[in-house]
Amino acid sequence: MAIDCLVLGAGQEVGKSCVVVTINGKRIMFDCGMHMAYNDHRQYPDFSRISKSCDFNNAIDCIVITHFHLDHIGALPYFTEICGYNGPIYMTYPTRALAPIMLEDYRKVLVDRRGEVEQFTSDHIAECMKKVIAVDLKQTVQVDKDLQIRAYYAGHVLGAAMFYAKVGDSAMVYTGDYNMTPDRHLGAARIDRLQLDLLITDFDFHGICLVFQFTFCKCYNSEIEYRNSLFIDYAAAVSDTVDYIIVSYLISLPCPEMEALAFGLRSTYATTVRDSKYAREREFLKAAASSVLHTAVASILSFVVIIVVHKCVAGGGKVLIPAFALGRAQELCILLDDYWERMNLRVPIYFSAGLTIQANMYYKMLISWTSQKVKETYNAFDFKNVHNFDRSLIDAPGPCVLFATPGMLTGGFSLEVFKHWAPSEMNLITLPGYCLAGTIGNKLMSGNPTIELEGTKIDVRCQIHQLAFSPHTDGKGIMDLVKFLSPQHVILVHGEKPKMATLKERIQSELGIKCCDPANNESVCIPSTHYVKAGASDAFIRSCLNPNFQFLKSGSEEKSVSGSKCTEGTLPLWIKDERVAEGILVLEKSEKAKVVHQDELLLMLGEKRHEVQFAYCCPVNVDELEKFTTTSLTPTARMLRDPNKSSLIRLLVAKLSRKLSEGNIQDFGEHLQVESFHLSVCLKDTCPYRITNGLEDKPRTAFFCCTWSAADDKLARKIISAMENRDLVET
Amino acid sequence: MEEQIAQNCEQSLSVSKRHSLRALSSIRSLINNPNTSNSTLSSLLETLTRSLQLTDSDSLTRHHELTLLAGLSLRHPHFSPLISNSLRSNSLLFSSYSPRLAAAAALAVISDHTVDDRFFVSLCFASSVSVRLWLLRNAERFNVRPHLLFTVCLGLTKDPYPYVREAALNGLVCLLKHVVFEDVDLIQGCCCRAVELLRDHEDCVRCAAVRVVSEWGKMLIACIDEKNRIDCSDVVFIQLCSMIRDMRMEVRVEAFNALGKVGMISEIVLLQTLSKKVLGATKEKKFHSLGAAECFEISASAAAGTFVHGFEDEFYEVRKSACSSLGSLVILSEKFAGEALNLLVDMLNDDSVTVRLQALETMHIMVTCEHLNLEDKHMHMFLGTLVDNSELVRCAARKILKLVKTPKLEFFRLFIDGLLENLKIYPQDEADVFSVLFFIGRSHGNFAACIIKEVCQEIEPDSDDKLGFDNARVAAFLVLAISVPLSCEQNVRSIPPQIFSYAVTLLGRISYALSDVMNQHSLMAYLSLCSRLSNFSEANFKGEDTPLHEAKSDDPNCTTEVSIGADIHMQKSSDEASKSRSWIHGKLKETATSRCQLEEEDEIWKALNIVLAKVRNVWSLVQSGFSKEALRILRACKEEVLTFKAESRGFDGALLFSLQYFKVLKLLTKGWEQFVPAKNIHHYEQGELEFLLGKLDRSLRELRCRFLGLSKEEELHVLELMLVSCLLRLSKFEICFYYTTMRNLSSTISHLEFLHQQGSTEPSNFVTAVKKSLFEINISHTSYRPSLFNQLLNSFSLSQLVFHGRLEHVHAELGVPDNSSENPVIFVSGLPVSIPFEITLYNISSVNRLWLRMTMSDETTQFVFLDSNLLGGCKDAKKFTYVAPFYRTPKASFTLRVCIGMECLFEDIHSVKGNGGPKRALAYLCNEKEVYFSRVSRG
Repeated sequence: MAIDCLVLGAGQEVGKSCVVVTINGKRIMFDCGMHMAYNDHRQYPDFSRISKSCDFNNAIDCIVITHFHLDHIGALPYFTEICGYNGPIYMTYPTRALAPIMLEDYRKVLVDRRGEVEQFTSDHIAECMKKVIAVDLKQTVQVDKDLQIRAYYAGHVLGAAMFYAKVGDSAMVYTGDYNMTPDRHLGAARIDRLQLDLLITDFDFHGICLVFQFTFCKCYNSEIEYRNSLFIDYAAAVSDTVDYIIVSYLISLPCPEMEALAFGLRSTYATTVRDSKYAREREFLKAAASSVLHTAVASILSFVVIIVVHKCVAGGGKVLIPAFALGRAQELCILLDDYWERMNLRVPIYFSAGLTIQANMYYKMLISWTSQKVKETYNAFDFKNVHNFDRSLIDAPGPCVLFATPGMLTGGFSLEVFKHWAPSEMNLITLPGYCLAGTIGNKLMSGNPTIELEGTKIDVRCQIHQLAFSPHTDGKGIMDLVKFLSPQHVILVHGEKPKMATLKERIQSELGIKCCDPANNESVCIPSTHYVKAGASDAFIRSCLNPNFQFLKSGSEEKSVSGSKCTEGTLPLWIKDERVAEGILVLEKSEKAKVVHQDELLLMLGEKRHEVQFAYCCPVNVDELEKFTTTSLTPTARMLRDPNKSSLIRLLVAKLSRKLSEGNIQDFGEHLQVESFHLSVCLKDTCPYRITNGLEDKPRTAFFCCTWSAADDKLARKIISAMENRDLVET
Repeated sequence: MEEQIAQNCEQSLSVSKRHSLRALSSIRSLINNPNTSNSTLSSLLETLTRSLQLTDSDSLTRHHELTLLAGLSLRHPHFSPLISNSLRSNSLLFSSYSPRLAAAAALAVISDHTVDDRFFVSLCFASSVSVRLWLLRNAERFNVRPHLLFTVCLGLTKDPYPYVREAALNGLVCLLKHVVFEDVDLIQGCCCRAVELLRDHEDCVRCAAVRVVSEWGKMLIACIDEKNRIDCSDVVFIQLCSMIRDMRMEVRVEAFNALGKVGMISEIVLLQTLSKKVLGATKEKKFHSLGAAECFEISASAAAGTFVHGFEDEFYEVRKSACSSLGSLVILSEKFAGEALNLLVDMLNDDSVTVRLQALETMHIMVTCEHLNLEDKHMHMFLGTLVDNSELVRCAARKILKLVKTPKLEFFRLFIDGLLENLKIYPQDEADVFSVLFFIGRSHGNFAACIIKEVCQEIEPDSDDKLGFDNARVAAFLVLAISVPLSCEQNVRSIPPQIFSYAVTLLGRISYALSDVMNQHSLMAYLSLCSRLSNFSEANFKGEDTPLHEAKSDDPNCTTEVSIGADIHMQKSSDEASKSRSWIHGKLKETATSRCQLEEEDEIWKALNIVLAKVRNVWSLVQSGFSKEALRILRACKEEVLTFKAESRGFDGALLFSLQYFKVLKLLTKGWEQFVPAKNIHHYEQGELEFLLGKLDRSLRELRCRFLGLSKEEELHVLELMLVSCLLRLSKFEICFYYTTMRNLSSTISHLEFLHQQGSTEPSNFVTAVKKSLFEINISHTSYRPSLFNQLLNSFSLSQLVFHGRLEHVHAELGVPDNSSENPVIFVSGLPVSIPFEITLYNISSVNRLWLRMTMSDETTQFVFLDSNLLGGCKDAKKFTYVAPFYRTPKASFTLRVCIGMECLFEDIHSVKGNGGPKRALAYLCNEKEVYFSRVSRG
């Protein structure tokens, strides 16, 4: 059996995730995304490869969508409404709620802004969403008799999930985008340790946010479309990805250098190791608090914040945080509110009107999809210290903190506030990590003391703080997930080729897991688990119920023989409890396979038990034997001259017990026994087990017939070599 | 009534073979009723047993019956042998019916605690999973041989049922509580199995496996030979590190808990845990995995970012656990502690109070082991905790501040400002804040003086001549000011005298805050003293900056220290000044004494015992080879005790005892270094080691016989240390003095035994082990094997010393009046010379045999017996003059080193050979005193 994996999109590139997987005859399409950089046929995955006749309903059993980003869902209405797929589509509840808004937004931009021909209509989206079946986390959905899928929490954005799919005995996980580190809103991905044949993991978790924002940012500045773009902003920012929005802003401007810069920035994700998020937060808190709280002492100790609210009344400053709609602002707000609460600060925090209401609504609705912390806090988004801002408050005395849109002081409310606050040196403006050239934000960062706005000059005396821009999730997260799941195979998608190649190497060398990174429209076939159903006999089942462990000591001999590092690491004691090992698989003609206990087999077959016995007739030089034993002070020296059976045996026992460290040598007079090794004197002239080449001429050679079973082969060979003096270096 | 019910039951049973549930429940009530007569019970038993043997009853009824029997045997133990006998024969039979039944049967049988090995094993190997599980979970309750239990547990880790695996793993951890395994292969096998299970599919198994790797890993580290030990513990650590990326919160918590328990880790690995980027040094560092199945090498890079991940975790449980394990790791390396602090301060901003508290706790550990190195970037976060809205957090932060030492004035200023802020926002913290101010001022006298100088204006009454007494800020500055003189007397001058007077007006408030240091009376005395002094000194020493002769009189045995630049001339001219200073000390001491004599005796005991508790932890450091750190902690403890000392005369005995005890531990630590692998082994020369051990013996001897009123526990403690000293000696061939040391060893052992018998207490494992091997040596007359003794040493663990009562210190003062190098005693060469000694003896009884030891420069020694019966004086202090002769006067002028020694009564007679000298080893009661002689010149 095999799993076939056809990569229709995001193979060795970023954009339009779409993978069609065939497991045991069932075909699942994971994600159905679009590529935002193209306007032609390359925009959508090449669906014709799924089915030449375009009969998708029969070709595909179901579609699974991981989250609502356009590069994962963008082509869905097209595929269902235009291409005519009518089968089930699975996504999580939040994704189902948010996806139509995303799609609608996209459609509008396409039509209204770009003036392009629409690929699908609003009705298409609505129709498409009707086919969606929403699932809950960890809910096992039986798609049909054989196929079951289950969603696991993935972090990344609200509603993002990884999907587990199982058909028969083959199982796989498709991750989509995921987060391995939590932020203040969303938790880290959580999945069980499953037995997997295949793991398809996204390489570049965030990169794609940029691309889809490409178009939307254009409509950003108009207040009318603000409501819609809210979602895009929200979608990206909510997962600790504010920086992507900034980058996407860069791209949105019709300036080639900017575009290059943005892509350059993006390429740093995933390859860089991201360090603690706390450092950024700390910077922010410090800056915010210290400018609100100007005290006599604090001015001496410029690097530290002394939180003296009472003294602030006289000299307190105002803090302006120009923010993009939501998301990041929300995160910073949680941070501030928490800190304010803890430090008993009474300085008000404001949101410019309208911001909080929208955000809180969605957060409250989808609280079970947020991080542990948010879940634990009762009403996390009912900020105690946060109030709505009123225009009249701009010039009100006293310190405050204000979140206002838009982000880079390009206009609107934040710019208005800026005009009022900039001239006072007590105030602080916190800017996002990157500001476009030409924006006020950029001018501020380059340290312009005066800024010209609509003909009036503003004397900027306030402090400027820049939020640190740091790379996000990294290769380590992928490695951690792959290591945890330890699947049989890994397929990397959704990343740039050279970087994926590096990671592929690491997965193969460090974890020993096979890994590949197919290109678009390439198909990969990997072997999968297939179990044969077999009946079991009662005796076998009973024997399986009882513990049956044994301890194995790998002998010291083996250790010395193989001096490689590998065996040095192996340990002398290990445990074996393979109850199934006692079973025997019987395949009779025209009957089902059956496992029986080994004891039953003979009965079944009506056969006798056979055992493999080794035999060897071993020649021993009696002289040497005597020499050996006389030196060892055997009292019956005289008897030795006239060897009979028992004395020979006795001699041999004496010799062996000196040479052998292991095994219990038992002397039965006529014969000798060590475990299953049996030895007696052979008086026959021609013994079938004797190897007679050149031994006859040797005088005084006694022959001993030895037999032993296969289990004690090693021991037996040791005894024989001792008898033949082969091992004795000193003699 | 009772009989009737019983009969009814019996009837219902005999009539219909299947009794109704009703009958069963009436039986149950009969069993549970304590008043049911024995005859009824036995008839019930009979009924039940009979019905059990019926073959056609269904398994549900059987189950009920068995439960009833179990209950019967539990409530009426005298029936239990009967019940278990009847059941035992059938129990295996039951197990073939249903696992539930078998479990009930097992329960019934086992409730009498008489499960033997065979029965246990037979049940474990039976097919019923639930019985197996139950047995494993309750294994501790039965009397099963540990090695058998080990085998069963280890074997069952292969069980296909996850809960059985979990129970087996837990069983392995439990085993370690009671048994010590020594077979390295066995331990390694166990570890290896646990490492395999770290990748189990079931969460609970992974959790349990983490515990096993941690506990058995510790055992493995202890057993493995020295040169591989650090590598081995690194491997255990890294294996555990790999678990902190598990998807289950419980596993991550367990993994972090386990990380804190690994004793010693190389610094590279530690540093790697703080950075996600793989450090150059760790990249090449490869270890063999503990697991056998995979032959992979594990790389130190697996530890990358362990703590970064831990601190960023979504669950506060994990973050807390990460903080607490960091706490036990920061002791190991100063560099690591420094870098860890960068991450740790962020946890002070965590939204969970527990995490913040734990982070502060970790910082407290850092500050105690002097690894806390606060920098600019940490200040904001740290000081933020002082105004946290959780009282616990503020309190924990202040606890750190009490101990913190900073070389920078600006930091000190920040601390003070932080505390003032705290006081302002939370006036309820006043007492504690004052106390911290007092401590921090005392340890940073100069800085505090600086600040006071700046805020003088603020403290002074305003234009209306009104003091801002109700102002907490002013009060805080006053507390800071009055702490200054305690840091160094010179600072008295830097505080304007009126400040002390102002402080008096707040006496109640301040003394309440400082109640752990002094009470109201002593504070009053102290304040008035300081105020007078600073007046006085200001008048006398204006502009005089030369450091003066510094007399530290707190230690009677301490010699006089003369600071650099001391000038005799100066000293004379400033005679007045030094007088005043010694007066200060005297007064301080007095006030302290008065305080002790008051109700606060307990406080000192408590404080002392807390210090001793700290010392106990030192031993684990020593054992894992961190002797440098251990010594540092000991030193800190010593300093702490010395601070008590200045204040408490009544506790001299106990304090001196603890100082001596620290000295012994210091020597032990140094000696121990030679026998354990340490990171930076300081190799002593042979002679040096011998010298060290000699010193150790002497110190132990003094510890044992110079203190009266030792409790039994204390004496046992000292004796165990003596055992260790003997064993140390025996483990090095070159210095062992085999017969003498063996004799010492056996006499110490017998003394220990005697004490244990007397108090009917159980000897510790260590003592038992030593006794056993001593016995074996005596029997087998085996040749001397140092390794044997070395092994014994490993079983030693330092128990905590707790003071129970007052101790009297036996000591002496010795002087020769008017003798100096300029004014020697005159002698005639060849004739005896008499030396007039002035001797004061403290706490000497008439049983003690005292000797004067007089040693010449060429090490010829003469002993003179001091017959204490002949000497007058009261019991605790005898002062007298004694004229001792010295016979062998040489030809030239010479000096004698004289000392008073006391025979150790517990030592064997004739252990010291000397003609006419003492017959036992001596414990010296005073410092050596030099006496100068000059030959009389003829003519």
